[in-house]
Amino acid sequence: MLKYPTAMGVTLALLAGLSLAHAQKATERFIPIGKSPGLSDKYTKIGTIDAVNTQDRTITMSAPSGTYTARIAEETRIWLDKSKINSTNEEGTFSDLQAGRMVEVKYKDNDPEGPAEWIKVQIAE
Amino acid sequence: MRCPAIPGTRLLFTLLVVGLGLIGLSACKPPPTPDNEQIARGRDLFFNETFDGNGRTCGSCHPASNNFTIDPAFIATLPDDDPLFVAELNPDLQHDFENPVLMREIGLILENLNGFNDLANIFNMRGVPHTLGLRHSIESRAGPRTGWSGDGSPGDGSLRSFAVGAVIQHFTRTLGRVPGVDFRLPADEELDAMEAFQFSLGRQEEFTLPLPLKGKVAARGQEIFNDRTLGKCSACHFNAGANGDPGIFGQDAGNLNFNTGVEVLPDQPADLTGELMPPDDGFGAPGNGEFNTPSLVEAADTGPFFHNNAVETIEGAVGFYDGESFNNSPAGQLLAGATGSGVELDATQIVAVAAFLRVINALENIRQSIELLDSFVNRKFLGNEAFDQLLARAVEETDDSIGVLAAGGLHPVAVAHLREARRLTREAMASRFSRERLAREALGEQERARAELIES
Repeated sequence: MLKYPTAMGVTLALLAGLSLAHAQKATERFIPIGKSPGLSDKYTKIGTIDAVNTQDRTITMSAPSGTYTARIAEETRIWLDKSKINSTNEEGTFSDLQAGRMVEVKYKDNDPEGPAEWIKVQIAE
Repeated sequence: MRCPAIPGTRLLFTLLVVGLGLIGLSACKPPPTPDNEQIARGRDLFFNETFDGNGRTCGSCHPASNNFTIDPAFIATLPDDDPLFVAELNPDLQHDFENPVLMREIGLILENLNGFNDLANIFNMRGVPHTLGLRHSIESRAGPRTGWSGDGSPGDGSLRSFAVGAVIQHFTRTLGRVPGVDFRLPADEELDAMEAFQFSLGRQEEFTLPLPLKGKVAARGQEIFNDRTLGKCSACHFNAGANGDPGIFGQDAGNLNFNTGVEVLPDQPADLTGELMPPDDGFGAPGNGEFNTPSLVEAADTGPFFHNNAVETIEGAVGFYDGESFNNSPAGQLLAGATGSGVELDATQIVAVAAFLRVINALENIRQSIELLDSFVNRKFLGNEAFDQLLARAVEETDDSIGVLAAGGLHPVAVAHLREARRLTREAMASRFSRERLAREALGEQERARAELIES
């Protein structure tokens, strides 16, 4: 048997290592595109959807810094940003991702190769 | 009526007026400028800015006069039109925004951590964590951990971002939560200032245990607390703070999350009310049952305890770790597996650990009281308190130190010194000409109280 504190260290470190800090998603939904504190423009991409690939479940978007692709996974949250029309932001679906719409994409673990963690879609009218 | 032209009388009158004016000026010196204007700006925002919402400020739930938290006793002192009770006042917030029964009886606030799609059924009721000592209690390997489950902030998850989520959750005028209509979001410079203010609160350094405590019971409690085969408390509360023991978790472990079984405690006060109290799944959405580790230095005067205010007293909170809920929990089971046994403390040992926590809390209260009085005497202050409130805040901190010691039957001589310090400070507040002298005398009493608790 491992001796304390080695055994305790291993097991407790494993236990504590299970959780990664992450931001709260619930109130993020109500934050308009470009206003997410500490994220917008630093770790997110804001641009306009050029194309939607329903087969691959990806979107291609143009942002000031270039062209980006975002993959929409099962866990990707999609929110409709209706703040421009003074309406409540809502949960969205893949079908709300339409060419010409402005979006903000936050990639999981800030990795543009990975799936999107969340996408905000601007609904302006 | 015109003064008679008697030169001698006029001279005397003039001297009298000038003399009284000088005395008056010296007694009413203007408040000095804060040493840190960003912190002072953050303080102003924290306590006064409603962000065009329902009237609440950050200070509604985090009042300075109650250690930046609220509890049923404090809530009972508030007038019925206090913005805390906005759900009772604003028809748009009457349903699914707060539960007035659980707020007033248990001190619980409604949070929608698992989303806003089913407001009537999916929510959590949580206590209000204090905002003291945050500089040493929210950092972790994976980034900052805010709120009870470490995931309280939107955006980048930082303390800076916390205010944005709080405004959306707690400040809104309606459940529509439309920015620009129901509230305004804090600007970047406001977030910077409020973060600076919050980081300035409470202790700026960790304790270094063991402390040379004078009280036999508290000293024994400290031994049990640090004993890796008995109390095992310091594994997760290193130096009685909020971080993991670096000897176990590594140097930069910081704050950690655990499922300690609080949720399965039987007969929880909130459940006994009969109000709807959905299970709280902790970290993440859906959650994994884990909650983060709070600092214990500030614990004794910031109860009730745990995320759901399940336990009223510090003795009860220590006793929790001796019970089945903890020892059968994922964290308790792993601790038992690693050390060969669960936590088994007898009543005297539970009270000893609680006595230790009471004494270190009182030491921190005394440190703060001394800092406040010293700031007043030397007319230098950081800005996280209003200058004209320094003495009143020192009284509040002194009330806390008296309370935590007296309620545990600890250090009666120190309590006597603290009561005298309180009397002198209140006298200073009422005095026009002897404020500084009385504040200095109060400082002396605080120092004498401290000397009763710990070797210098």
